[in-house]
Parts: sequence; structure tokens; C-alpha cells
Amino acid sequence: MKRVDEYLKKMSKEAREELEQDDYALKVTNLHKDFRLPTERAWGLKQAIFNRIKGIKGFRTQHVLRGIDFTVAKGEFLGIVGRNGSGKSTLLKVLAGIYVPEKGSVRVNGNLVPFIELGVGFNPELTGRENVYLNGALLGFSNADMDKMYDDIVDFAELRDFMDQKLKNYSSGMQVRLAFSIAIRARGDILILDEVLAVGDAAFQEKCNEYFKSLHGQQTVILVTHDMANVEKFCDRAILIEEGVIACEGKPEKVTKAYMKLWED
Amino acid sequence: MEGLRNRRNRILLRELIKTDFKLRYQGSTLGYLWAVLKPLLMFAILYVVFSKILRFGGEIPHYPVYLLTGTVFWNFFTECTFQGIHAIEDRGDLIRKISFPKYIVVLSATSTAVINLLINVGVIFVFALINGCTPSLSWLLVIPSIIELYALALGISLWLGAVNVRLRDIGSIWEVLTQALFYAVPIIYPISMVTAVSSTAANIILVNPIAQVIQDVRYNVVTDQTVTTWGFTGVVWGLVSVLIVIVILIFGALYFRKRSKRFAEEV
Repeated sequence: MKRVDEYLKKMSKEAREELEQDDYALKVTNLHKDFRLPTERAWGLKQAIFNRIKGIKGFRTQHVLRGIDFTVAKGEFLGIVGRNGSGKSTLLKVLAGIYVPEKGSVRVNGNLVPFIELGVGFNPELTGRENVYLNGALLGFSNADMDKMYDDIVDFAELRDFMDQKLKNYSSGMQVRLAFSIAIRARGDILILDEVLAVGDAAFQEKCNEYFKSLHGQQTVILVTHDMANVEKFCDRAILIEEGVIACEGKPEKVTKAYMKLWED
Repeated sequence: MEGLRNRRNRILLRELIKTDFKLRYQGSTLGYLWAVLKPLLMFAILYVVFSKILRFGGEIPHYPVYLLTGTVFWNFFTECTFQGIHAIEDRGDLIRKISFPKYIVVLSATSTAVINLLINVGVIFVFALINGCTPSLSWLLVIPSIIELYALALGISLWLGAVNVRLRDIGSIWEVLTQALFYAVPIIYPISMVTAVSSTAANIILVNPIAQVIQDVRYNVVTDQTVTTWGFTGVVWGLVSVLIVIVILIFGALYFRKRSKRFAEEV
């Protein structure tokens, strides 16, 4: 990754500008990610000293991503599917910059707003209003930015009367609705969504579906989901991840078929 | 790693500080007043025990204010490091879910201690005036002292906080260590009690940056009869004391930066 950066620095100004004008939104090259899993009880001081003396490493390495390459075009709606433990959440976290990859690079063209989970930083002791601003700050929006979005968020969540109540007095459905409304009102060039479509009651879901349809062609979205119906409904293209590599890539119908097939063998 | 010039990082820091401060005293009747009350009550206990019962510090003018200054700055140091060391652990939910420079979490966790200190320095000034100290421009020298002590606390927080992510024992070890450190700093006893026995021991005690800062503040605010590191052990050792702070801060920051890449996986 460092070498790529150095290379970019050396490139002529024209060449760099040309690259930046490229119409990709996200480019992932040869991505590798390992995890160190502690063996038995490697946590804590006693065990650390014990391991050091005995020459035990205290962890084993698990290769979660083993060479992932793909490009997302501007305005594209990309679906990522895969079994539990296939590495898709890890991939998402690398894309979002939460994990640092062992090898390979992620090039982001524009600003990326990740929703690995809804309502990050939500605090039950704060009011709904305070939580909106806090959550917004975590996504990189200033108070002034949030002032502009606030009414929109509250209206979409249909929680106008509850905004000055503490979050702990909300039902879980209300909390998710608020979190989801912030998520979809957040204006970024690239939106990353992990398994967030299934929120609220039927009426709210319908509203969300409408919203996703309206995003189509306007916004670059990367969606991770288990719901194959959603993949076919919203996505332009999909990727199936299996054991840390891309097992299938292409039209949503083709990828969902490959996904279903995983259980047939 | 982009610094605080980055707008997004600044917004995040400000919002986290606001939240921490809001939540700190929520649900208590006296609220923020506890920020002032806690050190004052601590001081009252120490004053009764050490000044009235054990009769320490008879030769030092304005001894109550002298004692208050020591306890306020010591409390700041411990509060700051306790919050800072556990910052990464406490904010694990954020670190696992969004990408941002991790030191922001340490800055926000320690900021409550800084705010409390600033309030308490105001309390010290009021007590100093009531006690008959003469206000002078030298009171402004409390500012570099605060910066030095914060730099030390921050360096320790970054260093031990990074270790604490993997070895959760560090937080507890540090708490015990600070208990020992409390008696190694002339807070409740005047340094003259040590010089009377061994001037080498007094030298060692005063090279400790915490002692150096506390004595400096006492000298500049309370009474010029305070024994300072600069006056007692000389300018060279005074500079060594400052150097210790700089080294700890740089080392802590570098170590933290190196380890922070894996915080999201380990915390």
C-alpha cells in the first residue's frame, strides 16, 4: 500500500488528474486480511509472561481474506453475499478503514459513509435529539450539517413527539427506526450498508424499499445482505464471497443462484 | 493519520467531549458541583488529619492552600490517567464500528479531567485570596505547569492504554502504582521533612515531574518559600524532569500509533 502511495506521488500531475477523473468509486486490489486468534487463554499478564518464557506464540493466524479484487463504478449498486464466516463483514470493515489489511489496497474515490451497524455510539442516557447529533458527528457531520438534516431525519423516522425523551425509553423498534433514518439521510459519495434493510414494521419497510429504489443510479451503494430477494430487487451487480475469495461475480440472478447452490452440495 | 486539522476529527472530538461531560454527573442532584466538591472534601480530610492532628507544615505560610494545590494537581493526574488508560476499552463499541484516529478517544476521555482541573484552579485562586496570598502575574505560570502535567498524563495514558487493550491487568497495576507514587510526591508532607533526613532522597523525589509541577505551582501561586526542583536540585535536574515528560509523551504516542492499527480487532 505504501509503495502505491509513493508511486502516486512520483506520477506526473496530468497522469494523477486522469486517474482521479476515472469513473470508479472504489477499487479493491489483491486484498488480504489475517486475524490473530488467541489460543486458549493468551489474554492477561500471567499468560503473556508464561507464553514468552515457554516460547509459545499464544495465537494462530487465520486467513480471512485471501486476495480480493473488484471495482465499483460510480452510481453502481453492488451486493455482497456469502455464508456466515465467509469474510464479507471483514471485507466491509477493511473497506470502511476499520481494519488495516495485511496486503493489497483499497482506493476510495470520494467520501465513504459506512454503516457497519446502525446507531453507532447511541447512548441510552441521552435524548433522541442528542443521539442524532452524536451519531451524526461519528459519521463526520458538524452540528450545522445536522441542523439541516434534522427535520428530515425525524420526519422519516416518524418520531417527532419523542425526540426530547431519553433513548432508554424508546422501544427497540423506535431506536432502529431513528438509527436507520440517520443512516439514509447521511449524504456521502459511497454508502456501505450491512444487513440493515430488515427494520421496523411492514409500513416502515415499504418506505425503506421505496427509498432504496430512488437511490438507484443516483448513489453508489455497497450492500451486504443475506436476503436474496433484496439483491435481485436493488443491485446492478453482485459478488459472492466464499472462504475469503470471490467465488462468483456478475448479474444478481447469476450470483443468487450460485449462493443457493452452496447448500446443495 | 491526519491530525486535528481534519474537520471530521475535530467534530468527533468535540462531540465526544460534550457527551462525556454531560453523562458524567447525570442523575446526581448536585451535578457539576461535584467537580468542585470532591477535591474540596478530599482536602478537608487531609487538612484535618495532617495539618491539625499530625501538625505537618507548621513552618509553611498558607499551608491549607499549599495542601489544596497539591491534592488538586494530584487528583488531576490520577483522574486523567485512569480515564485515559481505559479509554480504548471503554469506547470499544466505536472502535469496532467506525474508522477514526484512535487517539481522539484518549483525548476526549482525559478532557473531563482537564475541565475539572481548570475549575479547581479557580477554586485554588479564591482560597488563596481568602487566605491572604497576594495575587501576582506569577499566577499565570500555572498555565505551563498544567500543560506539562497533562503532557505527562497523556503520554502515560497512550502508552499504558495501548498495552491495556491486550493485557487488561495494566489498569489495576497502575492503580496500585499510583497509590505508591502518592507517597513519593510531597503532597501531604512538606519536602522539608525529607531534606532533614536525606538530601539525596529529596533530590530523587523532586526530579519526579509530578513533584516538580506541584512545587512550581505552589511556588508561583501560594508562597515563594516553597522548595522547588529548580531551586533545590538545580536547573540541570529541573530540565531532566521536563525531559522525562517529553520522552514519555513521544514514546507513548509512537507506541500507541504502532499498536492502534489492531485495536479494532483486539478490543
